[in-house]
Amino acid sequence: MNEPRCEEHRHDLTCREICEFMMAFLDGELPPEERAVFEEHLSLCPPCVQYLDSYKKTIALGKQAMADPCGIDAPRPPVPDDLVKAILAARKKQA
Amino acid sequence: MLADMAESSPTAAGTPGSATDEAGLLARLRAGDDAAYEELVVRYAPQLLTVIRRYLPEEHDAQDALQEAFLSVFKAIERFQGDSSLATWLHRIAVNSALMRLRTRRRRPEKAIEDLLPRFAEDGHRADPRAVWSIRPDEASVNRELRQMVRAAIDELPESYRTILLLRDIEERTTEETADLLKLSPANVKTRLHRARQALRELLDSRLGETAR
Ligand SMILES: [Zn+2]
Repeated sequence: MNEPRCEEHRHDLTCREICEFMMAFLDGELPPEERAVFEEHLSLCPPCVQYLDSYKKTIALGKQAMADPCGIDAPRPPVPDDLVKAILAARKKQA
Repeated sequence: MLADMAESSPTAAGTPGSATDEAGLLARLRAGDDAAYEELVVRYAPQLLTVIRRYLPEEHDAQDALQEAFLSVFKAIERFQGDSSLATWLHRIAVNSALMRLRTRRRRPEKAIEDLLPRFAEDGHRADPRAVWSIRPDEASVNRELRQMVRAAIDELPESYRTILLLRDIEERTTEETADLLKLSPANVKTRLHRARQALRELLDSRLGETAR
């Protein structure tokens, strides 16, 4: 038998709704009842499980990609001399 | 004398960025030492500019925001308590300055986010089976190319969504703080963050789903 597709099951929530509530689910903001329905959907719907997995990975990848603004990825981009001078001159005016 | 300390060996002045080094620099800044101000700008401008560019891709906007950030720093340096490291404090000021510039400059039309949101069949269920991401969650910490790819994808997000994603997921500001900074309701921040993540996921999917399929 083929792997059951999502729409062949009866769900109280559609995939669209699962997608909508995903952040609240991850933040632990769903009331217990809704959480149970959400989890039930996941137990029956591999595409939503995959989506949830990639959603979580997206957040993690973003954090890693931006972790170190001047690390090995971007070793101290040059700041124009004129800009440094303008900043220091503006300080004098400010004082 | 004092100005020469900047040129002295790291062991004498403390390793750049270390607590002793920071304390020394702060003391000289508070004493109004011009050389210390120059040292501060030269040392921190590159990383602050990098952070600001995430919010303001256009270079002249970014440079203006950097200048404004340093002016705020100069004004506030007396009040800096050292609760966080100097670098962390400067970073926060730079982000705030970038946001200020985003608010005040002329709004540019932005891409619609809808094209980057997931699609569903009419009955609300997923129309197609999705590609699996076999990538490990921490892969980007060891893979430079992947980090660059992710940064490029973040840059592709519509501006208002990118800003929220940066503040919430990268800067780890709270929903309330983000709402405050952007003059939005917390509910609006949540909705937009979720959309921004979905859109970023979509952008990454075409690259990561492929290799993982
Ligand atoms: Zn589903």
